Amino acid sequence: MIIPVRCFSCGRVIATDYIKFRDEVERIRNTEKREPTKEEISKIFDDLGVKRYCCRRMIVSHIDLIDEVIEFD
Amino acid sequence: MKLTIMELQDRYIRFEIDGIDYSIANMLRRTLINDIPKLAIKNVIFHLGSIQRIDKDGKEHTYNSSSPLFNEIIAHRLGLIPLPTDLNMKFREDCEHPLDQACPLCTVTYTLTKYGPDTVYSGDLIPVGDSSFAPIEKEIPIVKLNETQALLIDAEAIMGTAKQHARWQVTSGVSYKYHREFLIPKIESDIIEKLKKDCPKNIINESDEGLLITDDIPCKHIASLFRIDGVKIKDDDSRFIFQFETDGSLTAKQTLLYAIHRLKERLSKIRDSITV
Repeated sequence: MIIPVRCFSCGRVIATDYIKFRDEVERIRNTEKREPTKEEISKIFDDLGVKRYCCRRMIVSHIDLIDEVIEFD
Repeated sequence: MKLTIMELQDRYIRFEIDGIDYSIANMLRRTLINDIPKLAIKNVIFHLGSIQRIDKDGKEHTYNSSSPLFNEIIAHRLGLIPLPTDLNMKFREDCEHPLDQACPLCTVTYTLTKYGPDTVYSGDLIPVGDSSFAPIEKEIPIVKLNETQALLIDAEAIMGTAKQHARWQVTSGVSYKYHREFLIPKIESDIIEKLKKDCPKNIINESDEGLLITDDIPCKHIASLFRIDGVKIKDDDSRFIFQFETDGSLTAKQTLLYAIHRLKERLSKIRDSITV
């Protein structure tokens, strides 16, 4: 639906990191016209300071569905 | 007992304690996890029904106070937002008034007003009175609203600890490990050349016996040491390398200092309760 505020396992605030991650992935898609590679994704996480894999899976596996639900009031 | 800080950032700390055993180390770890007080939103009051407003175009618009998420979910998300904490604030139980009342010593109130279509962020949460209590992270998305929706919220933040609920959790990833030494005999190997080149210099020590490396500071090549024959590994079970990060409501240093103070307080409570 919408990105959880904190990581389910460790409690780190990941919602702001998700926004930055999404923008960075979008930037690579637009400038390079391709999907980001594994190494690029791991570099984005390192730069954001998302170190543990519990926080990384929160961001990697998230699908934002709220825009599809918002029409049905 | 000696405590050395190895790395200190605003929200992250790595330190070493020498001369304790694991029971004390674990006591400190558990205190860091669940006994640090912080401020978090506990009570949320939603405005219900329709809201009239004259918009920028000069016409009156009617908004519904509804949103794509249930009110409970919004209240929960508001609770998880890190708020700047003043450790001098009181717990509500310690205040003299009844628990259903509020006073400035134990409570901070917030308001949130947002009209669609827009995204509600944590930065829209405005403290009533002292503006230094505004959320630290302004970009946490709370909910999205469409053209007909609006959100009017009053919220009350109180002090608590992570024992009660995850919203009061200050630290994440609290962990400790033993100080470990790898003694590598004098041999020629690509791995050792890489280690000498890429690893932080202060974890490597060269002597007549060979190379002495610790993993106190993480280095990606250390895992490859397990592939070399003849490497001696020594764990020192009285030296502990701790690390943790905070959510920003308190700095890492404040958190550690409070944890040590809190441990002392609890232990002296036990001592005082013993009657012979």
